[in-house]
Amino acid sequence: MILASVAELMNSAWPAGVMMLGLGGLFAVILLVASEKLKVEVDAKVEAIQGSLPGVDCGACGFAGCGSYAKAVAADPELIGKCAPGGSATAEKIAEILSLSVGGGAAPLRPVIHCNADIDNRTYYAKYEGIESCTAANALTNVQACKFGCVGYGDCVASCKFDAIHIVNGLATVDYDKCTGCTACSKACPKNIIEMVPFSEPAMTVVACHSQETGRMTRQMCKVGCIGCGLCKKNSDIFAVNNNLASVIYTDYKVDEGVETATTKCPTKVIKRVGKGVIAESKVESPVA
Amino acid sequence: MDTLNTLLLGFISIVLINNLVLTKFLGICPFLGVSGRIDMAFGMGMAVTFVVTLSGILTWMIDHFLLKPYDLQVMQYVCFILVIAGAVQLVEMYVRKFFPPLYESFGIFLPLITTNCAILGLCLFINLWEINSLIEAAVLSIGAGVGFTMAICIMAGIRENLNLVDVPKCLRGAPITLITAGLLTMAFMGFSGMIK
Repeated sequence: MILASVAELMNSAWPAGVMMLGLGGLFAVILLVASEKLKVEVDAKVEAIQGSLPGVDCGACGFAGCGSYAKAVAADPELIGKCAPGGSATAEKIAEILSLSVGGGAAPLRPVIHCNADIDNRTYYAKYEGIESCTAANALTNVQACKFGCVGYGDCVASCKFDAIHIVNGLATVDYDKCTGCTACSKACPKNIIEMVPFSEPAMTVVACHSQETGRMTRQMCKVGCIGCGLCKKNSDIFAVNNNLASVIYTDYKVDEGVETATTKCPTKVIKRVGKGVIAESKVESPVA
Repeated sequence: MDTLNTLLLGFISIVLINNLVLTKFLGICPFLGVSGRIDMAFGMGMAVTFVVTLSGILTWMIDHFLLKPYDLQVMQYVCFILVIAGAVQLVEMYVRKFFPPLYESFGIFLPLITTNCAILGLCLFINLWEINSLIEAAVLSIGAGVGFTMAICIMAGIRENLNLVDVPKCLRGAPITLITAGLLTMAFMGFSGMIK
């Protein structure tokens, strides 16, 4: 009974089967020929390098993505070490694939926000209700008193692929545990207050202000700006004061007693330490203050 | 003259009135997934146009010369999917060989066209509407691709501007995209009845 119906099915279904077999075979042949004719030679080294890259396509290396960087570095080994998210580990892996060796390596670059003013410390002349982006807000003058400081609409946050920068109470704040140093935020900031600094130590001393106004003007606009008094320069050689603004000379960076004194003596407390471990402390402190 | 008229009307009807995305609700996945940026949307539209043209013509021929004479229309779905998958594979190889930058920017979307229901939908519609000339089938296929490209580019343009708008928090992301798609669809319903 069952056998008979199976036989019947077979009898009526065979043209369909033949058709599918025929079409399938035809396409198989066409694709086989095409895959031979249109073969692309892929360098095994390029594929291996691409496998060792983080694959986040952040563009810190200056190429369109990890794929094009892999191709470029295979052709020109001098480009090793351009991958910021991968760091020295990736550089070593690439060198191994290309049977080269890398030595040393500079201190990793990390972003430093040159502004210390959260929303309570800033002065506004007007209320901004436009497009919520720093670039747009920056196009309007005289909304925020300080021309140099953080705008706080988070263009840097949008540019970060690693969730490592956030707007905390109106001020961009870097999470150094997540940061890979890809420089995206520093490119995104319309105020250019995010500087890439070589972090020779996990936490670095920085001047968290970018204001080149005179001390008097800065004091009027911001409670925590650098007034260019030069007290830090007197205490330590790593500081320089130009255009009413103190800055750290990172080429001769070292922490000694003078730096500690300068940090504590700074009248507006604009010299601070940022980096791994420092953020956690300030987060604990802030509810008390 | 009469044929030209039919072809022109067919083209306009598939682009605007019977737009696969906005009135037949086919190919919604790439319509929502790849419409973040205009350049990507246009690239996707071009890829779909290419594949849909190729597979529309091929499936019409298979349908007319193989399936209908032997009364095997029940096999349409299987055969059409086979043709589309094959065409996509072929396109992928071709693009990889001759346009490597384009291949890299398409990424995963190129193979994903295989499962784009707008393409299978168009192949079946050509059959459903009983299109009997190859030229008309070809024009309809190209029109379907153009319609898809237009829809996805309009959507991408709106979404690019939506990024700059203060959308209520609960509607950010997918919800506002779906609402936009719905409004766009309603706008396109205004075209229905334009050609009788």
